[in-house]
Amino acid sequence: MASVASKGSGLINRLLVQARPQLDVFMKYAKVELTPPTPADIPAIRQSIGNIMKGAKTGAYKNLSVREAWLNTLVTAEVLFWFYIGECIGKRQLVGYKV
Amino acid sequence: MSQAPVRVSPLIKLGRWSLLLVGIAYGAAHQSRLSKKEEKVREIELQQKVVRDAKLAEEKKRASEAEARALAELSKPRA
Repeated sequence: MASVASKGSGLINRLLVQARPQLDVFMKYAKVELTPPTPADIPAIRQSIGNIMKGAKTGAYKNLSVREAWLNTLVTAEVLFWFYIGECIGKRQLVGYKV
Repeated sequence: MSQAPVRVSPLIKLGRWSLLLVGIAYGAAHQSRLSKKEEKVREIELQQKVVRDAKLAEEKKRASEAEARALAELSKPRA
C-alpha cells in the first residue's frame, strides 16, 4: 500500500515537472487575457458600448467586410458560451440536471 | 515563437465574466428549483406506491384463493 502511495506521488510529481512549462505558458497568457475587468476599464467599456450603439444607429455595421462580421460573430458566440460554462458550474453536473 | 499576449477588449472581458457569474447563479437556481419539484413528485409517488402495493397484494390473494378453490373442485372425488 505504501509503495503504491509513493509511486503515485512520484508519478504526480513527475507529471507536475513535465507539465510545468505548459502551465507557465498558460499562466503567462491567462494573466493578461483572462483576468476580470478592473474598475479602470470602465471608460473603455463605455466607449466600446458607445461605438457599438453608434454603429447600430448609423448603419456602419453594414459596411463591415464579411470576414470582420464573421469574426465578430465568433467572438460573440465565444462570450455567450461562458454562460453555459457557468451554468455547468452552478448545477455541479456536466450534462443535465441531477435531481 | 512566443507571441505577446493579446490585449483583450475590456468589453469582451466584462461580457465573459458577467456571463460566467450569471450562468453560475442561473445553474444553481435552476438546480434547486428542479430538485424541489422532483422532491414533490417523489413524495406523491411514495404515497401512490403504498396504495398500489396494497391493491396488488389484494389481487394476488384473490387469484391464489380462486386457484385453490378450482384445485379443490377438480380434486373432489366424483360422487
